Amino acid sequence: MDSIISTFHIDWKIIIAQAVNFGVVFTVLYIFALKPLNKLMQERSEKISKGVEDAKQNEELLKACRADYDEVIKKAKNEAYVFSEKAKKEREIEKSASIENTKKEVEAIIQNGKKMMEDEKVKMVEDAKKEIVSLTMLATEKLISSKKDLNDLP
Amino acid sequence: MEKISHEITLFAEPVFHFGSFTVTNALVTSWFAVAIIVVLALALRSKLREVPGKIQSVFEVAIEGALSLCDQVTNDRKLSLKIFPFAISVFFFILVNNWLGITPLGGFGIIEKGEHGLAFIPYLRSGTADINGTIALAIMAVLGANIFGVFSVGLWKTFNKYVNLKVLGEIFTKLRREPTIIIVAPITFFVGLIEIVGEFAKIASLSFRLFGNVFAGEVLLVSMAALVAYAVPIPFLFLEILVGLIQALIFSILLVVYFTIGASDHAEEHEGHEEPAEHKLASV
Repeated sequence: MDSIISTFHIDWKIIIAQAVNFGVVFTVLYIFALKPLNKLMQERSEKISKGVEDAKQNEELLKACRADYDEVIKKAKNEAYVFSEKAKKEREIEKSASIENTKKEVEAIIQNGKKMMEDEKVKMVEDAKKEIVSLTMLATEKLISSKKDLNDLP
Repeated sequence: MEKISHEITLFAEPVFHFGSFTVTNALVTSWFAVAIIVVLALALRSKLREVPGKIQSVFEVAIEGALSLCDQVTNDRKLSLKIFPFAISVFFFILVNNWLGITPLGGFGIIEKGEHGLAFIPYLRSGTADINGTIALAIMAVLGANIFGVFSVGLWKTFNKYVNLKVLGEIFTKLRREPTIIIVAPITFFVGLIEIVGEFAKIASLSFRLFGNVFAGEVLLVSMAALVAYAVPIPFLFLEILVGLIQALIFSILLVVYFTIGASDHAEEHEGHEEPAEHKLASV
């Protein structure tokens, strides 16, 4: 052991001095470089991971919004289809009702016209009859009067 | 005129004295390393922004990479975050020291009269090319790992890793159910005692590995420069830059391994058949 100490000049004072040197290096590096750098890197990685997390959340939110949007659009389309079908049916019903009414009205007008024509015909026959009677009477009167004149002749 | 020798010594040469305290060139280099790291840390602190600039980006990438490397050893981000400041400080301290040792500034120095005549003593010698520097780091690593273990799993469990009184006690409680415990328990207790020796072996292996590699590198560079100056040492200089980085990395990773072992509960590990941290390192 003594030979090793004397050969390598092992000196506990220098060992302590070197230990102190290392202590200074450790302290300075830890306080001024490693600790702040580590803190900065951690903060940055936290920010990055938070950003990634936010981006994921936003993506999920966007997906949910798209799903909602699709759902609403689908629902609206269904409702619109139902309304349109209902409107079509109502229109068909109204149309057929209106055609029916019109037919009835036309029928009524035709019936009314026929009746009016019948009445007019009857009235005309009546008038003609009256006219014939009056003409017959007038002709009879004239004939009677002409016969009387003939008789008066000498 | 007397010839000046550029002898490479196994130990750091004294440059000046503060009373009885001898300041070696390795210590001076360590002070330079400390100053450089402090300046860089303060510069980084002043430039810290939420939107990083170029320097901050480089640091962030390096730190993130080092932290993920640490995760591969610990398998636990929380544990990694606790160990990481210590490991990265060791890494930078060793790296700057290693690289300072191979800068051309090593040409500045003093000429002193030694045992073999005049000798050139450079002002800069890597702090890790002196065993005192590496021993200091190794002791702090091993001690730190055990203190970290005390804070992580508790004093009693850490103490039982070395002096396994719990397993001795189990001889009396489990003898009827498991008669083999009378053989297993003393062996386990003895293994615990060997762990104490292992801790000293860790100090020796950590310190001598780093010292040996860095010192060998410096010897290699000086030898090459002495053989063929200027051109030939350049590839070796680049090699030493790489070696300096690798050695700093090895020391830091081993420190992380020791800290992870310190923070793991041995009893739970054996019951859960968990893979030990050394095996995890082997897969890294």
